[in-house]
Amino acid sequence: MDLTVKYNSARSEKARISVLLSKNWLFVLSISVVVLLVVGFNLIVLEMAIGWALIGLASVPAMIVEWYNGELCHLPISKKNKSIDNILSAEVLGHLPHNPTPKELATIVSQLNGGFFFAVRFGIGLVFLQELASNNSTDMPAVWSEAIRLQSLTNSKNISAVILVVALVNCNPTSQNLISHLQLDLEDLINGIKWFNHLSSLIEEYQKPKLTGGLARDWSFGWTPMLNHFGKNVSQQVNSVSLLNLPAHDQAIERIIGIFSKNGRQNAVLVGPSGVGKTRIVQSFAAKLVNGSSDVPHNLKYRQVFILDAGSLIATAPEKGGLERLIPQILNEAYRAKNIIICLDNAHLFFEEGIGSVDISNIILPVLESGGLRMILAVDEQRYLQICARKPEIANALNQIVVAPASRDETIAIMQDRLVEVECQNSVVYMYQALVEAYRLGDRYIFDLAMPGKALKLMESAAHYGDNGLITAKSVQQTIEKTLDIKVSVATDEDDRKKLLNMEDLIHKRMINQSRAVSVVSNALRRARAGVRSQNRPIGTFLFLGPTGVGKTELAKSLAEVYFGGENKIVRLDMNEYASSQDVARLLADGADNANSLTARVMKQPFCVVLLDEIEKAHPNVLSTLLQLLDEGILRDIKNREVSFRDAIIITTSNAGADTIREYIDRGYDIEQFEDQFVDGLISSNQFRPEFLNRFDEIVMFRPLKKDELIQVVDLMIADVNKTMSLQKISINVSWDAKKYLVEAGYDPRLGARPMRRMVQRAVENTVARQMLSGTVVPGSIIEITLEQVQQMVSSKTDADQIVKNS
Amino acid sequence: MSWWYSNGLLGRIRMMMSRLRSSSDFFSVGLLLSTLFSPFKQISAEGSGGSLADYIRRFFDKLLSRIIGSIVRSFMIVFGLIVMFLQIIFGTIILVSWLIIPFLLIIGIIVAIIGWVPRWT
Repeated sequence: MDLTVKYNSARSEKARISVLLSKNWLFVLSISVVVLLVVGFNLIVLEMAIGWALIGLASVPAMIVEWYNGELCHLPISKKNKSIDNILSAEVLGHLPHNPTPKELATIVSQLNGGFFFAVRFGIGLVFLQELASNNSTDMPAVWSEAIRLQSLTNSKNISAVILVVALVNCNPTSQNLISHLQLDLEDLINGIKWFNHLSSLIEEYQKPKLTGGLARDWSFGWTPMLNHFGKNVSQQVNSVSLLNLPAHDQAIERIIGIFSKNGRQNAVLVGPSGVGKTRIVQSFAAKLVNGSSDVPHNLKYRQVFILDAGSLIATAPEKGGLERLIPQILNEAYRAKNIIICLDNAHLFFEEGIGSVDISNIILPVLESGGLRMILAVDEQRYLQICARKPEIANALNQIVVAPASRDETIAIMQDRLVEVECQNSVVYMYQALVEAYRLGDRYIFDLAMPGKALKLMESAAHYGDNGLITAKSVQQTIEKTLDIKVSVATDEDDRKKLLNMEDLIHKRMINQSRAVSVVSNALRRARAGVRSQNRPIGTFLFLGPTGVGKTELAKSLAEVYFGGENKIVRLDMNEYASSQDVARLLADGADNANSLTARVMKQPFCVVLLDEIEKAHPNVLSTLLQLLDEGILRDIKNREVSFRDAIIITTSNAGADTIREYIDRGYDIEQFEDQFVDGLISSNQFRPEFLNRFDEIVMFRPLKKDELIQVVDLMIADVNKTMSLQKISINVSWDAKKYLVEAGYDPRLGARPMRRMVQRAVENTVARQMLSGTVVPGSIIEITLEQVQQMVSSKTDADQIVKNS
Repeated sequence: MSWWYSNGLLGRIRMMMSRLRSSSDFFSVGLLLSTLFSPFKQISAEGSGGSLADYIRRFFDKLLSRIIGSIVRSFMIVFGLIVMFLQIIFGTIILVSWLIIPFLLIIGIIVAIIGWVPRWT
């Protein structure tokens, strides 16, 4: 093919004329036709022959307008197909100058519909295109040949502005880098061309005259007053609202048509999880039947689909036997009308006794078996299995059609179709990146639905989080973050970034030492928020080992407060409560039965610190259950629902081998020197299985606190007391020797910092309470606590020992 | 001009046929013809079996429904056909005009030069 645009070819000339004839010009021409005709006829009436000339003159603008509408505005591609101008769309060809450069082409396509589409939907606008396009006309053949390739790849009828936008991007050697800034790849741009073509075809389809059967369509069919009352006529709804074709559902619709157009059991049961689009299939099927242009068999044409409303039926006939009388009347009416297809949406409601459901299988079964009345049932997989188990004869009478969840490409295509309605209803515009993000995050965070329901739900919710009506990937992230209270976006906010970079300092405000533990946890969070961690695992999984009172639990709490937004963002389980094998069920219990199970709590609060205390006391079966959690960030609850732990930090603590750690430290070893040996010891002593320990990102050993560190702990505790007292404008100052005394009295190498809390309570808080009650302290004063006062409160070593013992 | 007498003319014919098809659909002409003798709105006595009298009663009941149905449908078919006939006449006028329009300017100028105008009195 000749890759040079022939500027003077007939098609090029026509394209330029079509561009010249803007809407304003066409309006002027149309008006001039009317004016010339009116004036001409009036002159003839007044017996002035010049009127004939004016009428004749009116034919010229009239022919131009007809020519434009008939040929120019949809200039077809030339059948010769020998040069590039023969297959360029008229709008592009009409704007092209002599010998254009890629930069000029970029300017032209940016101002056309296809260019606007890419600017809004993908963020590839005029500036972007001009930056990557060269100013050298010798580069044009490469652009044209890429455009031809894309046209063939996307089955486009001509080379339109959308194709040229993508061709311009592809021809730049650094295009992949450039578009990756927009979170796109080249495949996404090709999807963009297909999306634009699909929208264009929808518009063309919409503009075609519709054949609906006409005024007398239903004259041969009976009246259905009861059905109108107890059911919903889907066919009428799809008549008034244009229903879009969903390619992913075509196969199921074809199967329903196949079943209903042949002899045999005239029923179909759509089996698939919620959100997979079963009701939508029924609607699309109903739309196809009432569309006179569709290719459905004659015996199905203009048949109407009614969805029976279980709630309305039960409300009308709540008493025993009432429904048994009502349902046959309705089904009989449908049978006699001869054009009705009954749909039982959520069909399990008609096959089980319960609140809002009723078992009428004894009535429906004969209808299903006889095949006299066409029926469609829609039910989710689990319920279908239950129905089959309870009433196998019903399963035998049904033609099962499995509706599988949509794939990524199908889901995005379905979202693109639904956008037409959603954008119109909410006055917003969605970017392509928002759809991809809705698929990704929907798949990850929405558990009760299948695809495409998950993604559609998220996409529709995102309509309220747009920026000036534009829904971007960020809007979708915000939707998830605000509805589930989690963080999914990469940290770009200045405060967030500062917090992450200074995580260690922030944690150390309430933690003394244990720098390594603080550091590994902080690094895990930084990896997560920089978007470099694995998305298929928890943010971090850590095993904290060490004696009691050294800060293991405190670190988890600090993390919850500093990063996750409060100490309530901690899901804490004392694993000594899960010491028997039966406790696995309690760990995974359904939230409706046990709100405190691990799965229920994380389902409610996925963005949290999961703290599993004293893990060594859990039963081996419980530990085995946790393996998948540590490995893939997923646990299945008792009802087999997936619960994601991928936005949580998993911290397990253990005192196992605490004495050994203390012994090594007392002998002067650093933790790093005996770490490996220690972990080996835990395995060989059967305290932990190697596959369990291997699942952790880090095994961190906490060393016992020294006396000088305990003084810092006391400082933190006094700071806590001061924080409480600040409400009463009173502050406390404890002298150095008093603090030292507290540490000396409360120190126990076996218990670490734990007794210090009671010691401070006894010595400091009690002193302050007494002074306040005696009225010696007024708001604004500073209470000085001396060694003597502390000694008075903790009067003897025996007292101190008692406190330590109680700890 | 070549477009006017080739694709332009074909387009006009296609448009006319499409409008005829829409009218036929709107008045359900095809459907009514194929169901001309069906019972109207399926109004007829129900049931099966029974005595000979019941059978005869049902038969005449259905027959009456079919006769009423065919009368109502025939009216609709005739009305639809009249509308379509008018459409064909109008469409033909448009097509003939289509053929003449390119010459209208010359014809107009010639008639204007001749100075002929219809006399009303």
